[in-house]
Amino acid sequence: MVQTTVASAAQPYNYEIVRRFTIAALVWGVLGMLAGLYAALELSFPWLNLEIPELTFGRLRPVHTTLVIFGFGGSALFATSYYVVQRTCQARLASDTLASFTFWGWNAAVGLGALSYMLGITQSREYAEFEWPIDILITVVWVAYLYLYVATLRRRSQPHIYVANWFYVGFILATAILHVFNNLAIPVSLTKSYSLFSGVQDAMTQWWYGHNAVGFFLTAAFLGMMYYFVPKQAGRPVYSYRLSIIHFWALIFLYMWAGGHHLHWTALPDWTSTLAATFSVMLLLPSWGGMINGIMTLSGAWEKLRTDPVMLFLITGLSFYGMSTFEGPMMSLKSVNALSHYTDWTIGHVHSGALGWVAMITFGSFYHLVPRLWDTRLHSTRLVYVHFWLATIGIVLYITAMWVAGIGQGLMLRGFDEYGNLAYSFIETVRFLHWPYVVRAIGGAFFLAGVLVMVYNFAMTVAAARREAAALEAKLAAKLAARG
Amino acid sequence: MSDRGADKGRGAAVQTTGHAWDGDLQEFNNPLPRWWLWAFYGTVVFAVVYWFLYPAWPVGRDYTKGVLNRVTFQAGGETVTTHWNTRARLMLELQDSPAARRQRQYLEKVAAAGYDEILADPDMKGFAWSMAKGVYGDNCAPCHGSDGKGRIGLFPNLADDAWLWGGTVEDIETSIREGRQGFMPAFGEALSERQLDDVAAFVLSLSGHEVDPEAAARGARIFRGETGGCHYCHTREGTGLKSQGAADLTDRIWTVADVPGRPTLAGKKEEVKRVVRDGIRRTMPAWKDRLDPVQIKLLTVYVHELGGGR
Repeated sequence: MVQTTVASAAQPYNYEIVRRFTIAALVWGVLGMLAGLYAALELSFPWLNLEIPELTFGRLRPVHTTLVIFGFGGSALFATSYYVVQRTCQARLASDTLASFTFWGWNAAVGLGALSYMLGITQSREYAEFEWPIDILITVVWVAYLYLYVATLRRRSQPHIYVANWFYVGFILATAILHVFNNLAIPVSLTKSYSLFSGVQDAMTQWWYGHNAVGFFLTAAFLGMMYYFVPKQAGRPVYSYRLSIIHFWALIFLYMWAGGHHLHWTALPDWTSTLAATFSVMLLLPSWGGMINGIMTLSGAWEKLRTDPVMLFLITGLSFYGMSTFEGPMMSLKSVNALSHYTDWTIGHVHSGALGWVAMITFGSFYHLVPRLWDTRLHSTRLVYVHFWLATIGIVLYITAMWVAGIGQGLMLRGFDEYGNLAYSFIETVRFLHWPYVVRAIGGAFFLAGVLVMVYNFAMTVAAARREAAALEAKLAAKLAARG
Repeated sequence: MSDRGADKGRGAAVQTTGHAWDGDLQEFNNPLPRWWLWAFYGTVVFAVVYWFLYPAWPVGRDYTKGVLNRVTFQAGGETVTTHWNTRARLMLELQDSPAARRQRQYLEKVAAAGYDEILADPDMKGFAWSMAKGVYGDNCAPCHGSDGKGRIGLFPNLADDAWLWGGTVEDIETSIREGRQGFMPAFGEALSERQLDDVAAFVLSLSGHEVDPEAAARGARIFRGETGGCHYCHTREGTGLKSQGAADLTDRIWTVADVPGRPTLAGKKEEVKRVVRDGIRRTMPAWKDRLDPVQIKLLTVYVHELGGGR
């Protein structure tokens, strides 16, 4: 016991930054999902707006998306990427100061963003609502992140770069490009700017960004996470090195073309629409490459699913990933999109990816990470199971409610009666959404409850770690005193 | 999953790449799963075929149009044939889908018919109801409610048989086409608190409420005399004037003062007093520039049928 403590004190890695980003991810996660749950309840019970402008759905919605994508997801990526790059390169981060700067800069941007949306300050670009001063802060933080990551990779103690790092670097580079081009704008005051693009070019730029935010931020980066934590937790080699190379490059190349599928049947030219749809279809198998590599890593060790709840999180995450990356290309076809677009099917699709894939793979990784970061054992494995089932039930309720809402409303909007008239007025399709919305909110509540169980489990774990460390020090002090 | 690629447990024939990271992180060198590779090629073939059939690649300032995939539709009395595109597809669907054709037949029929014919013919009336339900839902329901019951004090109830501006199809059509200005002056400064009390008592007595007869008598003098002048619009009997949109005060139907919503007589009186004191100013917008004449006609039939039209 004494020896392990001494060994971890002499730890060559910067774990402090990983710990801080992990805690930030949990805090933003709880706040962001709370905002999401409240927004969902507002859709089911509009009086919950309470006539308070700051709480209305229009303002709360970007608060939710920003806190969960950039606050929770972003911080989880910072935490795991800093952990993974150090462990797989056997090198300490190139600069502790710069790492600390990315921590404060990133969290300031997320916090300021959420606050500004509640005050009604927004660029009105989906997933990029930050006004220009925050955009600049993000750019500076991101360049620091890129520099730090690459500088650390250059310090690696072996010639080959582990696959997880390709995905992380791909994500950092692509996000930098997307963020800068999408946010080109002319500021007119501290809190207001006008985009450099207009009309359909503006819409296309927005969705080029929006879809690749999904592709690189929420997919490639979390595949990086998967490529470290799945084989580590399974204690098995990655299934196929060749598959990892091929699907990495295919994914990186194809994703950039797909954004236009968000604008089918609009002013977007038809050829742009076609390219977006076909590239989305070609994305299916490259996306599945990651799922196959993750799940097949467990081949020969399937019994772990019965004994290890952390593995359960990781594999379920990969399964949802496979499902939503099948659903995506299907929805990108113009004929399917004519039904699904502007309905809650899209919301359901996003959440099967966001809750099922992004959050589940993060939870699994965190359950692996937290005991190692604080050098102790997890407080309760039972609670991991409780979390797993709360999360899974929550996701299933959420997705099925949104399928019913989306496909139902889509069919109602295009339904004709025997006279050749539209069968439903718009308001009737909205009334139809009430119960699916209630079920969705219940699903969200399940999911959030699971996260709270996880936070409690981690808090108890860290508290136990602190007690162990204190007891150990007391013992050491007593020994030294006895010797003296 | 894959027949050749699967690793059959630890220490199988498949080799790792020989690298190890972070102690035990390794990679097998399994080949690409065959089904994965062929499925990927399949999606590429799908994409290439798609590119040949539909507008796909930009070439200079133009783009490839696609083959074997023409759309023919009518525009401005001419037949237009063009390469596949979503706008042409929309035009075609609006002109030529079974629903569009059926709807057009009915529209031509009702455009030529008078209100009496439409109301007498179950088929045309059914069509009017079906189409106007959508027009109503998209344009009228936000104020009058999807059931047409309105909201006391704000928007008149269209589902009962009391009509402020008249319930004949002609009246209803005028209300929709031209809009209405619901106005009653505020008497808060013209009448004293006591006079307001008396008028309220009289107004309530008109619909059979048990009020102080002396107060009601004083109120009647104000109502029917020059002090209040209420009778100019509501008539001496309080039955209202359609030409002014003045409410019938004897029919126990309340559109502005929420009399039924107050359980006590004092409360009911307070409600009436409030309306007399503050007056009324409500606007029904004119729809003639937003809806076409046939839509207004169908909507008229719908509203007529919704309540007891006259």
